[in-house]
Amino acid sequence: MKVKSDFVLKEVAGQWIVAPSGDASISFNAMITLNDSGAFLWKTLEGGASEEELVSALLGEYEVSEETARAGVRNFVEKIREANLLDD
Amino acid sequence: MNYTDVFGEPTRGKYVIAGINVGMILRKDWTTHQQARDYLCDFDGEPQIVEGIDDEFIREKHKEYPHLSLADCEYMWTGAHFCEELLKFDGFMLHASAVVYKERAYLFSAPSGTGKSTHTKQWLDAFGEDAYILNDDKPVIRLLNGKAVVFGTPWSGKTDQNRNAGVLLGGICFLERADENWIKPVGAKDAAFGILNQTIRPGDKKRLVKLLELLDNVIKTTGVFRMGCTISTDAAIMSYDAMKGETRA
Repeated sequence: MKVKSDFVLKEVAGQWIVAPSGDASISFNAMITLNDSGAFLWKTLEGGASEEELVSALLGEYEVSEETARAGVRNFVEKIREANLLDD
Repeated sequence: MNYTDVFGEPTRGKYVIAGINVGMILRKDWTTHQQARDYLCDFDGEPQIVEGIDDEFIREKHKEYPHLSLADCEYMWTGAHFCEELLKFDGFMLHASAVVYKERAYLFSAPSGTGKSTHTKQWLDAFGEDAYILNDDKPVIRLLNGKAVVFGTPWSGKTDQNRNAGVLLGGICFLERADENWIKPVGAKDAAFGILNQTIRPGDKKRLVKLLELLDNVIKTTGVFRMGCTISTDAAIMSYDAMKGETRA
């Protein structure tokens, strides 16, 4: 899994937002916001990662149970897949 | 660059627009040339931005968009290029009508046809000669020494309402039509998406990051609002009351 390369993650006034550049900018719906752990997962996915790798990355960064991490990753992947931001 | 006299006589001029030295080659008496007249200024040295569109490009765009006149094409694509270059000077354009009152510029942004200009006209009615339109369609916001400054530019849309001036930003408001007047502040997410939706979004990532950095600074220091309004001076007084003194400088 990898996020589409023409999207940019940036913190704007305390809020993580993902915005499209180039042709992708035609669709306003392609802009989403993320919380801190979402932004962390996004950065990890920019280099490409499997769902398992995301879970272990999350466990390395945050003090959460594996169960919580797994659910968090699942939610995150679902959210960006729905927004059509995955390049898979 | 290829200019012929088929399209009228090209004239070279030095302009200062939004505090930037701009060299432009424009066709005499066409829209851009006329609207830019107040910005003529004989600066020293090389221009920081160069504008000029050759015959072939104008012909192509006119073919692609036949409802635009040749003069419209020159006006629109010099304006678009200027906006792109602006990022290098910590600036961006917002699709908005900008009204000035008590030395602050208030920007009302919305999709075309919503009634931006109609609302800022209400300010002129409500506040009289103390208020004026800085730019009726595409004001420029530049971050100068940490402060957001709004500038008029020659590219002011269908109306020629623009003034060659720079005024501190007082607030930004996204407006929609409503049966009753209401106004409320918006959070960072709505502010950022609202602005990104009403500006030219850069085509490459590096420049998009730069734009988002600018927005970060502007949103942190400026009150951003959403408003529903009727066509009335009451609406103007309401929006002024909500937005004045909201600048977190």
